[in-house]
Amino acid sequence: MLVRRCVAGDAAAWEEIVQTYNRRIYNICYRFAGSADDAEDLAQEVFIKIYRTLASYDSSKGAFVTWVTTITRNLLVDHFRKTKQDRITDSLDATTSAHEDAQPLSEQIQDQSAPPDQHVRSREVQESVHAALARLSPELREAVILRDLQDFDYREIATVLKVPEGTVKSRINRGRAELARLLQRTYRQVM
Amino acid sequence: MPDHTSSGMQCHEFDGLLTDALDGVLSGVQLDTFQAHARTCSACGPLFAEVEAGRNWLKDLTEVEPPVSLVNNILASTTGVDTQRLRVNVSAPQPRITWVERAQAWASGAMQPIWGTVRQPRFAMSFGMAFFALSVALSVAGVKPADLRQISLRPSAIRHTYYNTQARVVRYYDNIKLVYQVQAAVRELKRNVTPAESRPGESAPAKKDHKNDTTQQPEQKQDRNYSQNENHLILACAPLGPSVFDPMSQDPLNQDPLNPDLPVVSVTTYRRFV
Repeated sequence: MLVRRCVAGDAAAWEEIVQTYNRRIYNICYRFAGSADDAEDLAQEVFIKIYRTLASYDSSKGAFVTWVTTITRNLLVDHFRKTKQDRITDSLDATTSAHEDAQPLSEQIQDQSAPPDQHVRSREVQESVHAALARLSPELREAVILRDLQDFDYREIATVLKVPEGTVKSRINRGRAELARLLQRTYRQVM
Repeated sequence: MPDHTSSGMQCHEFDGLLTDALDGVLSGVQLDTFQAHARTCSACGPLFAEVEAGRNWLKDLTEVEPPVSLVNNILASTTGVDTQRLRVNVSAPQPRITWVERAQAWASGAMQPIWGTVRQPRFAMSFGMAFFALSVALSVAGVKPADLRQISLRPSAIRHTYYNTQARVVRYYDNIKLVYQVQAAVRELKRNVTPAESRPGESAPAKKDHKNDTTQQPEQKQDRNYSQNENHLILACAPLGPSVFDPMSQDPLNQDPLNPDLPVVSVTTYRRFV
């Protein structure tokens, strides 16, 4: 109904859509891209794309949130492919996931032994998890984000990623395990 | 992952049930078998622990707040509407806009592209040069701004000015025609009064071609009397009678040319005006 009103030219309906979904889309972009600036730009691009292709949405094929997330994911993948060359260049200075023994995250994480308070520690843990998430491969990262951060069910994730549910579950498990290995290694070195 | 059977479950089956076990949807015998395989399998046990730890790490991640300006930026980039400004306008009392202000706003909007062009330095320079050239041309032509001020633009006045100008042009043409006629009459009069000096063939002796003269002989002086003008009367004498004197002839007209008693006849020739 909201989409139909928006397609009919109702500006208030479009504003309602933006108000409803901007937080979700921004968080997906932020967790996938890794930086707040990129996330803001990407979220704007996602909404521009949604605005232009809103008439093509078919409610019989899935929920609107799935359609919106699919557009977001596609745009993030495109962005990742475009910036892949830059990251390869950057990775010459940093360690890759295949060489995690060379202190991949310890430079970014403060000493955990004596946190000033619980709030600061929680913020630092979040930063370390966010940094570890950014080191996952895009396939594993997007599956983990959609499942553990956006609470999508497996069928929705399969629709968004256009892969079978079994592949979705496998990617989620591998992503979680890889993340745990990264963080355990990091904290072991810091401690 | 090594695929072997342990506690009645293969490793690939364990891998397929991993997410369901963590989601808490396994129950009964399936859950018991899964837990038994996790305890006994050296590969799947640590994997389950890692996956569970990873999920717990991710639970620590909370949602981040998007920037405050995000919604406005999105709306501005899609519909071109700044909602924050709209909200301020809606909450503020709307001032009354008169039709003059609306007309001014419309005119300013319509004139915006033209005004933008006019404000360019290049256009201003061109306009200045054109104005300068026009003012110079008018001043050279003798047009003064004070004269322009006296010009009446009424239709009757314009018509009157047109006929006056036309009459002036015709009069000028007629005056020129009269001058030409007078000049032609004077010329005719002179032609009638001035005698011809001689025929062109005789009056112009064979001129020496000075340029092609390679004889190195001294140039002969011209036997022309420069004191005489072409318009002066030239008197010529010629004996009246036969050109050949015959001493034996009895004709009274056949006389000796050296005899001074013969009558003299004057012949006037005219020299043609060139």
